[in-house]
Amino acid sequence: FIVLFKFCAFPRVMETQLVMGRYNDDFDDGEDLADFDDNDFAEFEDMNDDLASEAETTPPPPRASPSSQPEEEEDEDEATVELEGDQDGFEDSDTQDMYSKYDQEEFEGIRDIEKTGHSMKDPLIIHTVPAHLQNSWESYYMEILMVTGLLAYIMNYIIGKNKNGRLAQAWFNSHRELLESNFALVGDDGTSKEAVSTGKLNQENEHIYNLWCSGRVCCEGMLIQLKFLKRQDLLNVLARMMRPAGDQVQIKVTLNEEDMDTFVFAVGTKKAMARLQKEMQDLSEFCGDKPKSGSKYGLPDSLAILSEMGEVTDGVMDNKMVHYITNHADKIESIHFSDQFSGPKIMQEEGQPLKLPETKKTLLFTFNVPGMGNTSTKDMDALLPLMNMVIYSIDKVKKLRLNREGKQKADRNRARVEENFLKQTHAQRQEAAQTRREEKKRAEKERIMNEEDPERQRRLEEAAQRREQKKIEKKQMKMKQIKVKAM
Amino acid sequence: MPLLLTSCSPLRRSLLCPVSLFFIHKTANLSLIMSSNNMADPRRQNKILRYKAPSTETNVTLEDPTPDYMNLLGMIFSMCGLMLKLKWCAWIAVYCSFISFANSRSSEDTKQMMSSFMLSISAVVMSYLQNPQPMSPPW
Repeated sequence: FIVLFKFCAFPRVMETQLVMGRYNDDFDDGEDLADFDDNDFAEFEDMNDDLASEAETTPPPPRASPSSQPEEEEDEDEATVELEGDQDGFEDSDTQDMYSKYDQEEFEGIRDIEKTGHSMKDPLIIHTVPAHLQNSWESYYMEILMVTGLLAYIMNYIIGKNKNGRLAQAWFNSHRELLESNFALVGDDGTSKEAVSTGKLNQENEHIYNLWCSGRVCCEGMLIQLKFLKRQDLLNVLARMMRPAGDQVQIKVTLNEEDMDTFVFAVGTKKAMARLQKEMQDLSEFCGDKPKSGSKYGLPDSLAILSEMGEVTDGVMDNKMVHYITNHADKIESIHFSDQFSGPKIMQEEGQPLKLPETKKTLLFTFNVPGMGNTSTKDMDALLPLMNMVIYSIDKVKKLRLNREGKQKADRNRARVEENFLKQTHAQRQEAAQTRREEKKRAEKERIMNEEDPERQRRLEEAAQRREQKKIEKKQMKMKQIKVKAM
Repeated sequence: MPLLLTSCSPLRRSLLCPVSLFFIHKTANLSLIMSSNNMADPRRQNKILRYKAPSTETNVTLEDPTPDYMNLLGMIFSMCGLMLKLKWCAWIAVYCSFISFANSRSSEDTKQMMSSFMLSISAVVMSYLQNPQPMSPPW
């Protein structure tokens, strides 16, 4: 029995060594028992938990004995197997597995056969790791795209804002001298207590700049608006790639009553004239005819004229004006002189407004900055002659006076327009008057009701009744008079 | 001055010339001074009118509705993003508030801008805290 044990022990020692070899190649006899104890236990745990617990209970004896328990060859270890009792069957199957595992060290190629065997029995399903658990930035590409878009927007904002600012400053620098020699007040934002020239443009927006000039003969003041493209908004920049547009300079000169005679006149590109005739209150009322081509007065064909009467056109279009306009026709969008200027037509929901809109004697100029969007600061100098034209127009309009015929015609026109307006609003004005009367009556009645003193109440009531009576009598008298007149 | 000269005889004219020239010079000076106030210099200090900001009724250009619409849109999208936990809504809200800021007038309240901005940023952050998965494209 002991001989058998020893015989069995030797291959087991070999195999434990092999096992050690598997876990720890540098196994030494003199090594700590604890090391290979763990490995031993691990080995037991792999196959059979019961065996492992048993191995733990027995204190670590010399290597041979713990390893002897699982690795028993069927043939020779029946005696020791019987000692353990229940776990025969398990052990047999386990030993088979263990042997097949250990055979890998000695026999190559077994592993592959084993593996294929395994894969045929249990197909492994490899799940993809969810994206947010993957430690890669690439899965967040949409977010990176969004942030990049935002950064691009911010960059464009800064660049566009600076460009607009530089263009505005360049315009002001080139025009400053001319303006300061013509106006006592150049630049005002309306907030300072004293009227002192600020010498700066007012910034309304990142793309709109204002300048107010005042203190000159012949006019009340001049408001210059630099309307640049929205270069600071990326959406706008992209939209402009589809539909090109240009920067504009709008000049509005307001005049005193004595500075201008009564006439309405406009000249500009054909498109602009068509649009203004529809939109502007005064042009639609006083210049009813279609825009005439400018070639009749020596202007290029691209320009059209809207005028109240021929005399006005002759008066405005003198040689110098024609010269100015012809030389800078590409930069002129529209020029509008009017003594009845009230802005664009106001669309009201209830119909016509009850009162005529307030009018102001105005000269309006709209110029296109050359470059069509791709303007540089140098292009601003090209607008200087146009400003000269504006100053010249102010002086000219002051001197321009219609002759007697023209004046009569103009007055008749204005009277006609007013009459039309009154007719159209007649019904509405009547209604308004009616409601006002009713309001008054109601107010009086309430007053009477609210009077606490009965005496006074009675007296007020009587007074109201008497007033009613008088009104009725008056009406009757009127009717009688009309009847008499008819007869 | 020129009339006087022509009425004189040539001899007297020659005598008077220097004198007249002197006078002419003087009057010319005077007239220059006067014209510098009247003709050459059109500026009038007494005619200054203060700047009055044009009301929105008459000035259509100031009525550009873009910043207001974008502000409203931004708030709606950020609310959607927060309530419905949609990431793309929150991102669009951030874009809207940026566009609104870029188009805003200088007279507008910065508090309004900042509040819409903060709301959209918080919508984005909340969507990612609740669901750290990256946004999936719609295709």
